[in-house]
Amino acid sequence: MSLQVVAFAVLAALILYGSYKVVASPLITHSALFLALVLVSVAGVFLMLDAVFLAVVQVLVYAGAVMAVIIFAIMLSEQREIGGDPSAQRMGFGEELRRALRSRHWGLLPAAAAALLAVLAIAGIGRLAAPAAPGAASTSVADVGRALLTDYLVPFEIASAVLLAAVIGAIVLTAREGSDARDGGRS
Amino acid sequence: MPLPLPYFLVLGALMFAVGAWGALSRSNAVRVLMSIELMLNAVNINLVAFNRYLTPSELTGQIFSIFVITIAAAEAALGLAIVLMIARRRGAIDINKINTLRG
Repeated sequence: MSLQVVAFAVLAALILYGSYKVVASPLITHSALFLALVLVSVAGVFLMLDAVFLAVVQVLVYAGAVMAVIIFAIMLSEQREIGGDPSAQRMGFGEELRRALRSRHWGLLPAAAAALLAVLAIAGIGRLAAPAAPGAASTSVADVGRALLTDYLVPFEIASAVLLAAVIGAIVLTAREGSDARDGGRS
Repeated sequence: MPLPLPYFLVLGALMFAVGAWGALSRSNAVRVLMSIELMLNAVNINLVAFNRYLTPSELTGQIFSIFVITIAAAEAALGLAIVLMIARRRGAIDINKINTLRG
């Protein structure tokens, strides 16, 4: 087994276990931390695919900014799932999976649909003609920057406008009504 | 010797399926948003893998992934702001109880 296969197996195991725990963990704070693990592992997969710039962006934007926003949202929304129920702390894997599959509305249907989707996708992959193994990567960070500022300049600028609008929208949505920033802490 | 392409595609498919399961079956709004982030990441793996194996001299897949990450960041900021607002007004973010607009 080559080093690449081992590295891929480790990353894939981390990603799939972390994804499962994001969905099934009884405590939502644990979900958030497992999401961070998944995001960093995905950055590792990007590195294996020679997408260096994308791996850095993944860590900065996802594991940094988006995770901070998610954790703030969890802490500020005062959910019951932060403390969780004490019996959930010690349960084993089988009990946890059973609870995750149980839901009040049509229980297993989403899990069955997702499993069907995965089976169909993997069956389709089997029929794919395997492309020739690529040679060394011929793209670099400089190429990414050049492409972003030449061929993709218009989408790039539109994306910056979208981000600005989203940030302003988030501030407007969460500002307390009838008070401005100065007395927001007292209300 | 590089790994075959289907390794990455299977990983992406499984990760997307787990994310879809979470987005459809959880009732906590923050957890649903986290599951959507999982699905977006699975799609990014697919995009970058196809880019690397099928058109290694171009950057289309990577650029597209960058835009997906950008929009995902905007979506997370707005979605979580909405969650906070709902939590503040109604005290709970169970999406089965947010049915004011139901006809």
